[in-house]
Amino acid sequence: MICCKECIDLLYDYIEGSLDQNTSKSLEEHFEECPPCIAFLNTYKSTTTLCRDTLNQIEIPDEVRRTLQSFLKEHKEENK
Amino acid sequence: MSFTQQKEDKEIEEALVKDFQAGNLEAYDKIAELYQQKIYALSFNLMRNQMDAQDVTQEVLLTLFRKIHTFQGKSAFSSWVYRITLNASYMKLRSKKKEPNISIDELLPSFNSAGFQQEKIQDWSENTESLLFTNETREVINKAVGLLPEKEKVVFLLRDVEGLSTEKVSEVLDLTIPAVKSRLHRARLFLRKKLSSYFEEYNSQKGET
Repeated sequence: MICCKECIDLLYDYIEGSLDQNTSKSLEEHFEECPPCIAFLNTYKSTTTLCRDTLNQIEIPDEVRRTLQSFLKEHKEENK
Repeated sequence: MSFTQQKEDKEIEEALVKDFQAGNLEAYDKIAELYQQKIYALSFNLMRNQMDAQDVTQEVLLTLFRKIHTFQGKSAFSSWVYRITLNASYMKLRSKKKEPNISIDELLPSFNSAGFQQEKIQDWSENTESLLFTNETREVINKAVGLLPEKEKVVFLLRDVEGLSTEKVSEVLDLTIPAVKSRLHRARLFLRKKLSSYFEEYNSQKGET
């Protein structure tokens, strides 16, 4: 029988789908009996999604884009 | 993105790199165009400052221009670009005053002697929708990521935010696969804990009103 500690150690591989069948099955048995670990699993997954959706919205601001363009142009001319 | 699409992109990129190594400046423009967004986003997420991210992006684009002849194709071109970006960002960070790192271990889950979780775990995963794109939530997430120790932060940004594969992250950072996994897991646990405090507080306030 898997305990909560083992369960949380296995979460990463469980989500990746890289656990062997037996381990995966014992983990799911643990989930059935342990609501806190289900809550942990759900919030662990949500954390990744929330952080990704927030942080991958970074776009280059227009003024930075313009600065970069003129910077590159200057440098290429120097190197011609 | 489909596998064929990825393969085509890779071939286009390799051709561009070869052309540029042969002195074709148009190829360089295309490489710069392809990569500046990635360079900027990664350096911005590491430093949280527009001016610094701009400086680093300039520096990296310049390094690509000057050092392209040293790129030998032993690793993927993108891994090389990511490495240069990380080095430039770290140099920049080092020159600034550092905020004290907090210990990640204090925020990892704790267990009793029988291996049960010691704290009460709330499931807030269903209740994030209304909060998702508020400035406050964004601020909480940015702050939490900012508090991650560098080792964990960089793995988290490359793998979970930029979406690189575990193998690719291990190539960029020259880490073993188990080391990448372990750092990423610790980063996620840390962030989960930080976000939990926020969402649990929000939920309990909502319950009161």
